[in-house]
Amino acid sequence: MTKLILNRRRFLGTAAATGAALASPAYLRRASAQSGGEVNIWTYNNFVPDAFKEQFEAETGIKVNVRLVDDQGKQFNLLAAEQPNPTVDIMTVAGHRFLQFIDSELLAPLDTDRLSNWNKINPTFSESDWSTINGNKWGAPILSGMEVLSYNTEYVTEEEALTWDTLFSDKYKGQTAYIIQDMMSIVMLMKGYDGNMVAYLDDPEKAAAIVEEAKQFLIEKKPLVRKYYDGGAEFQQMMVNQDIMLGHSWNGPAAALINDGFPLAMTIPREGSYGFVYTYNIANNAPNADNAYTFLDAILSSPEIGAAMTKASGFISTYKDATNHLTDLEKKSTSFPDEQLANLQFFRAEANEMKYGLVDPAVEAIKAA
Amino acid sequence: MAKETSERTFWGRLASWGPYHALMHLATASPRRQFLILAAFPILWILTQHLGPMLQMLRVSLTDAYPVAPGVEQHFTLENYARFFGDSIFWQPFFRTLIFAGVFTFCTLVLTYPVAYFLARHVSRKNQMLFLLLLLIPFWVGEIVRTYAIMILLGNTGAVNLALKTLGLIDRPIPFMYTSFSMGVGIVYLTALYMLLPLYSALEKLPKSMNEAAADLGAGAWTRFRRVSLPLTIEGISSGCTLVFLISTGFYATPVLLGGPSTTVFAETIAGFFHVAGDEWPTGAAFATIMFMAALIITTVFQKLMNSLRKGDKK
Repeated sequence: MTKLILNRRRFLGTAAATGAALASPAYLRRASAQSGGEVNIWTYNNFVPDAFKEQFEAETGIKVNVRLVDDQGKQFNLLAAEQPNPTVDIMTVAGHRFLQFIDSELLAPLDTDRLSNWNKINPTFSESDWSTINGNKWGAPILSGMEVLSYNTEYVTEEEALTWDTLFSDKYKGQTAYIIQDMMSIVMLMKGYDGNMVAYLDDPEKAAAIVEEAKQFLIEKKPLVRKYYDGGAEFQQMMVNQDIMLGHSWNGPAAALINDGFPLAMTIPREGSYGFVYTYNIANNAPNADNAYTFLDAILSSPEIGAAMTKASGFISTYKDATNHLTDLEKKSTSFPDEQLANLQFFRAEANEMKYGLVDPAVEAIKAA
Repeated sequence: MAKETSERTFWGRLASWGPYHALMHLATASPRRQFLILAAFPILWILTQHLGPMLQMLRVSLTDAYPVAPGVEQHFTLENYARFFGDSIFWQPFFRTLIFAGVFTFCTLVLTYPVAYFLARHVSRKNQMLFLLLLLIPFWVGEIVRTYAIMILLGNTGAVNLALKTLGLIDRPIPFMYTSFSMGVGIVYLTALYMLLPLYSALEKLPKSMNEAAADLGAGAWTRFRRVSLPLTIEGISSGCTLVFLISTGFYATPVLLGGPSTTVFAETIAGFFHVAGDEWPTGAAFATIMFMAALIITTVFQKLMNSLRKGDKK
């Protein structure tokens, strides 16, 4: 089963990459400046399509060095340790983490005038309120994701998966998994609170009480969970090995499994959930800033490249018309019914300092309990 | 003729080069100078590769901000250590780690001692190297790959569950994974070599004649093991246990991949301060220092205990 999935994944990845390669020459041929040098990128697995990378390198002479990251906090620490002379040019920051990076002067404002393809991004993402801070744009939105309830369709019914309660039911004891940090926000939402904690900015005592309530809930439900995990690959592994039957996950890794033919489905449960947007950002004092802009403009150049990123990562492309280049199965795995989308709201950053000041110790307490 | 040839070679020309000759004379003129030259490299290695990073960790643990953000002033503080002693949340993973490390060390000893005994006492000398090589094969690949091998073995659709199901012993898979059992299997498997080699070395030195003499005096197999083999291999047991215990306290990837919600170890807590929490390196460094000190104290006490046992046996 695993072998089949890996082969299929490799096949689909190659097909997607080929599609992107076929689509991009029109732009890259126009990129007359054979500037050379290099551009250093910190990003998640599959966020830079291989075929695009190869072609970009061949046509511009700029070598693309990708360093994989799996965590926003880790990326923040690495960059903070390297400033003021970072080795990275482009990073991948989630929109709701912008403030932390901006406050620490780790990001350079994005000069969208240097990106002729900026208008290829769906304005829902490029012009949304979270993307403009202090009058500046700080990143180019590339993929959007959400926190979903994923389930093995051979064991769990769709009806059961329409509520987060199923994740904490005795019926699936020892067959569930979730990321505690993300689950804290969702539990707050389940209990009718604002998981972004923006509503409690003026009432820190209430915020602390809400986090405590969510913490106690997750400690109480600890005997039911099989695994607290950290990354999408770990979730996929547990699902494929049938160690779990349902779990909280990001839609990207779940969609990748669906596209591989695994009997998996996902919902945005009725209690609600959170969405987020990954953006490519230019580091403050980036050593190859010009090359970084050339790379960004190239990767934004066509919806086919956006579709290739979706095919490889499972996350939803922010590019206009990218869905036109997906297969029916891929469209299905990256879309949700309207009534479920109505339950979705985006993570917000305004209360992050207060929120994570309370949530991080709570996460440690849940793990230790 | 020979002299002419040596002078034509690079080394011959170098040896007869004046400045090199003078430098060599200066460096090796006295035994004291020879000692200093020889000692310089290991000292430099220990300073830069071992002591340096530890001192840096200690320094970070005594600060209130690291890495230092623009406009932030760094101060020295003991707050990070106080956080551990003042919040019982952190005690559970800390003590759990020490208990796990102790138990897994004991399990590794019990499992590898017979292997080392068989290898040292019952395999002919010419075949011992071949057997050692066979035992070393799994260690040719890295920790992560071997951990994934354990996952493939113990998963719900893994080889163990499949075998049990095929034999008709179970209807539903046994959830081995993400428990202290799977974590224990992983850690014992990963550390077995560090126990095996000191044990083999100690057992190999043990003269066969001692066991034969004990047998001639009427000692049974268990008595011979308890009164002869075990006391005379205490040095190997002590070295192996110390190595395995210290390694077990620091494991991170294996508990993350094989452990479950109730097996969180202190290394995971420490790692949390370095990435999940975002900007709490000093706390992470303080916690790492606390674990380092605790492991050091425990192994020192253990070594002293083993030394006294050895001396007691000699008396």
